[in-house]
Amino acid sequence: MLARELTYHNAVKVEPLPVEPFDKEWGVGISGNTPEPSPFPRINRILSKTVKTTNGFVSPDRAILVTEAYKKNPGAPQIIKCAEGMANVLRNTPIYIYDDELIVGGLGCDKKGTPVFPEFGLNWVVDEMRDGLMDYSEERTHDYFSFSKETQDKLESIRDFWNGNTIEDYANSILTDDELKGSHAGKGVFFADAYILCGAGHLGIGYDRLFKLGFKGIRKLILDHMENVDKSLPDGIKKYTFLRAELIVNEAATDHIMRYADLTKEKAGSEEDKTRKKELLQIHKNLKWISRNPPRTFWEAIQMVHLANCMVHIECNGHSISYGRFDQYMYPFYKQDIANGTSTREFMQELIENFYIKIWDLNKLRSHILIKTFGNGGIGGQALTVGGITKDGKDATNELTYMALDAHVHIRIPTPWLAVRLHAGTPWELKVKTVNTIRVGTGEPKIFNDDVTIPSMLSSNVEVKDARDYQVVGCVEPDATGKSYGWKDCGHMNMAKVLELAINDGRCINCGPECMRWQKCGAIGERLGVATGSLENFETFDEVLEAYDRQMKYWCDRHVSVLNAVDIAHQQLKPLPYLSSLMEGCIENGKDITMGGVKYNFSGPQGVAIGTTGDGLATIRQLVFEEKRISGKELLDAVRDNWVGHEPLYAYVNSEKVHHYGNDDDYADELTKFAMDTWCKHIEKRPNTRGGFYQPGAYSVTVNVAFGLKQWASVEGRKAFEPVSDCMGAVHTHCGSHDISGPTAICRSVTKLDHARATNGTLLNWKFSPTSLTGNTGRDSFIALIDEYIQRKGMHSQFTVANQETLIEAQKNPDEYRDLLVRVAGYSAYFVELSKELQDDIIGRTVLSFD
Amino acid sequence: MKITEDGEPYGLITNIQKYTIHDGPGIRTEIFFKGCPLRCIWCSNPEGQSYEQQIGIYPSKCIGLSKCSLCINSCPRGTDTPIKTEDDRLLSLQEIPECKNCFRCAEECPSRAIMIWGKKMSVPELMKVILEDRNFYLKTGGGVTLSGGEVMLQWEFAALLLKACRDASIHTCVESSLYCPTEHMEKVYEATDLVITDIKHMDTERHKEYTGVGNELILKNIKRTAELKKPLVIRIPVVPDHNNSEKNIRATGEFIRDVLGNHVIQLQLIPFRKIGTEKYATLNLPYPMGDFSPPERSVWEKNLLRLTEIMKEYNIPAVAGSSQKMC
Repeated sequence: MLARELTYHNAVKVEPLPVEPFDKEWGVGISGNTPEPSPFPRINRILSKTVKTTNGFVSPDRAILVTEAYKKNPGAPQIIKCAEGMANVLRNTPIYIYDDELIVGGLGCDKKGTPVFPEFGLNWVVDEMRDGLMDYSEERTHDYFSFSKETQDKLESIRDFWNGNTIEDYANSILTDDELKGSHAGKGVFFADAYILCGAGHLGIGYDRLFKLGFKGIRKLILDHMENVDKSLPDGIKKYTFLRAELIVNEAATDHIMRYADLTKEKAGSEEDKTRKKELLQIHKNLKWISRNPPRTFWEAIQMVHLANCMVHIECNGHSISYGRFDQYMYPFYKQDIANGTSTREFMQELIENFYIKIWDLNKLRSHILIKTFGNGGIGGQALTVGGITKDGKDATNELTYMALDAHVHIRIPTPWLAVRLHAGTPWELKVKTVNTIRVGTGEPKIFNDDVTIPSMLSSNVEVKDARDYQVVGCVEPDATGKSYGWKDCGHMNMAKVLELAINDGRCINCGPECMRWQKCGAIGERLGVATGSLENFETFDEVLEAYDRQMKYWCDRHVSVLNAVDIAHQQLKPLPYLSSLMEGCIENGKDITMGGVKYNFSGPQGVAIGTTGDGLATIRQLVFEEKRISGKELLDAVRDNWVGHEPLYAYVNSEKVHHYGNDDDYADELTKFAMDTWCKHIEKRPNTRGGFYQPGAYSVTVNVAFGLKQWASVEGRKAFEPVSDCMGAVHTHCGSHDISGPTAICRSVTKLDHARATNGTLLNWKFSPTSLTGNTGRDSFIALIDEYIQRKGMHSQFTVANQETLIEAQKNPDEYRDLLVRVAGYSAYFVELSKELQDDIIGRTVLSFD
Repeated sequence: MKITEDGEPYGLITNIQKYTIHDGPGIRTEIFFKGCPLRCIWCSNPEGQSYEQQIGIYPSKCIGLSKCSLCINSCPRGTDTPIKTEDDRLLSLQEIPECKNCFRCAEECPSRAIMIWGKKMSVPELMKVILEDRNFYLKTGGGVTLSGGEVMLQWEFAALLLKACRDASIHTCVESSLYCPTEHMEKVYEATDLVITDIKHMDTERHKEYTGVGNELILKNIKRTAELKKPLVIRIPVVPDHNNSEKNIRATGEFIRDVLGNHVIQLQLIPFRKIGTEKYATLNLPYPMGDFSPPERSVWEKNLLRLTEIMKEYNIPAVAGSSQKMC
């Protein structure tokens, strides 16, 4: 044999060895095209019975059971009422077990059902049912909930009991018009209503701690602390009462799990299939054991994760109750089960896949307004984090890191929300696994950068071992797992609206009699914001920057006031004793999590419209103060006229002749940085009501659309009611995209912003077409792009790899897909800039592997 | 070489494209030179053909003469400039005999409906853009690719730019038809790390029919490139019914094996696509392959893969498409 013909395939065995090879390729942009994606027949069977929408139905049981308990304990302290309410639900709500499943548990209602939480506000639920806004209608075409007449009657029957006693009522009673005028309830300079009608969520319980203690160990901890409370001290009675509540929910949690254990046994009794019978009996044993004890096997542990998490949902009404660092806390069980032959890699892979589908079956009730604003349905935000570094700073990658990603590709369902932590030392194999998963085109996973997130957390006084052990919760936010109550995503500030008020002397640009506040504001010579001068009179650009800075402080003051009021309402009316028992510090401090019982307490509102504001500043500087192409008055007039009659100027501000963020152009990028830094400056480190402080975030998720709907036109070329820019992305108006220089320029522009300062998290959404990512050139260039983003201290990215349907959508609505990159032939181009023929060609060829 | 009033050499550049990942290894910045001696009927970059700055018109981007008319107002000929419009939108300026190509209309146009194909750029101006993405080159073994149009038509400027890249330790690639004097090519090669070229047809008559020139000079230069041991990637733009016969592919394979001694890193068979039509329209040029309808996709795909297999019979590292790593 000739020497050159020798090959050494598989000569190097790459550790680790999960079920799938690290470089397994599933294809590019092929999500949704595979009928039986999992290698496990059981999983495919379960998938075939899984409803692939976030629509659901309303289940009244929780609401009724909580009301019953409150009525039984009329004079009890609020936290005891809450504990008794939770206990009554856990002991009496309906429970279900389904065919084929290896992991059981839910929210106390059938699949896709949603419990109701009257503690936060019941009127909207009953009103929406009555007004046809809950179930499918033209007003609500997705994320709708069906309900029976009986359900509606049941909820109507408890309406009077809750009237005036909800979080909504409490928060509104302590706020004045001055705080609310700019809010969601007013002109939409900021939104602070996220946690008025639901819980704050956005955390992950300490699974390590739960695995160590078990419910039995937690009970012992509670009893020990009860014994040591000195009730003669000022806080003694409060602490004792809190611990009593802890005991009530702890016992109820054990009973809840035992109900599943009993039901499984019952099912096993009537099961005729021998294999299934055996499975059911094993599940029964698992449940019986973990109802009190720490788990012993991978199967017991994953079952415990699911049930413990479901119970948090049943109590708190928050979303983004996340699963922490799954590959880290599960690894000891994995290793041990492999070593002693208790389980196999394949079976554990199957368990993970079953677990992911279980999460998809959960659901959450949202108002039709919230659905429009936030746009994400289903249970929402349950992130699951893998990868990164360990508490002592080593690379943390293990087999489960890979298996967690494979599991997603095997089921292709959007739960959990996967996050891969990357850092300078992330193994090449994990990068390949990550981008191969991304290339499938489901939008999973997101990537997070340890090398900026950890320093960012340190700057918020998080200890180094806790910072290194962070998880991602919800859409975006880094969180000290099991030790932190971050009130993440609690509010949003529209920076573009702040700029509008800053250059128009504190008045809305479209101030006039059609405004709902006209009689209290413009008509009597008042203004919405603070008087900061007008672009008509400013003599230097510095005056613009100063006006923006002053206007921002004014609105941050009011934003924080509203957020604090909502926080206080939660403390007064809805302490969370079950959740508190699973978070380190609460039992130890004798304090509920809503009161600041945990180690870290933050509040995290987001700055929205970063790109819009940056481009707005660049436009003003270039056109009014440098080129002097137009006067400040002319620019304001054009915006006031919604650009009608100013078409050449409208085209000009949207063209590349004006400096725009996202093109690696320092002129615009530095002003965008100023826009974001000013927001951070006025929010960061303000004290919150739980003994912690505020953390600014820099992302919008989908709130940019809602803010846009509340805002008139703006100087950078946006027409009235168009969305403002999303997250850290560049501006896309109906007239055109402002970023036209490709992904490397985006990477460099975005990382000129100070991600570490946005301690509540940042996000950049990328869009790629499958054709730009095919082959090993596509894969490795993509990895390099991510690497550079990491190295330049970008914090977080998510990727859309558009599939064919998206491309067709893009063809129909080009304005919404301005930044969709496609590979043409020898070069890449923006899809919507191509001729119809070529678009058709690309749509047709995305499945080809040699494009 | 053309020189500005300040004595600065410049090139005429139609486009700079970052994150190009298929024209050379790694992530690259691709510089498109303006001007080409060939007129391939399948050309997808017609704006790169003429070695003059040109006006390009995108009627769909025009905001309407009744609302704007900055173009007419800026024209030295005055507001009675004859133009073609459709639904108030500018369709064409090409009818003006007195047009001196002052480009004021393009400069004034706020919506890029009138644009200038070709920008005069100096080496320092280009290097500024090139260096922005240096980290991406380092991470992927990428660099700069000069393409066109025809790079060799501006060979002196190209050599200067390549030298500047090499001085900055940036990998350089030239994509050229190699239809140029051999000495120009060799001058450009002094700072070139990789060459990408096409073999469009082995029959010189057919070559002339499709590109306007015979293939003798091109094949001679490819042979010379191999003799110089310059790393070489060869592409065949496979156009159905034009050059996709087994006979032509085998002739190409024999040339590569026998004349070049298989001195080729990769041979890419690039599937033809009808692209660039909208650019022809902006130049008021007809699209030469407008009437051509390509065969059905699956048939075509199979054909391409079969031709790739034939090439492999000659021990040539052939691939379909350009998304497999070159080196």
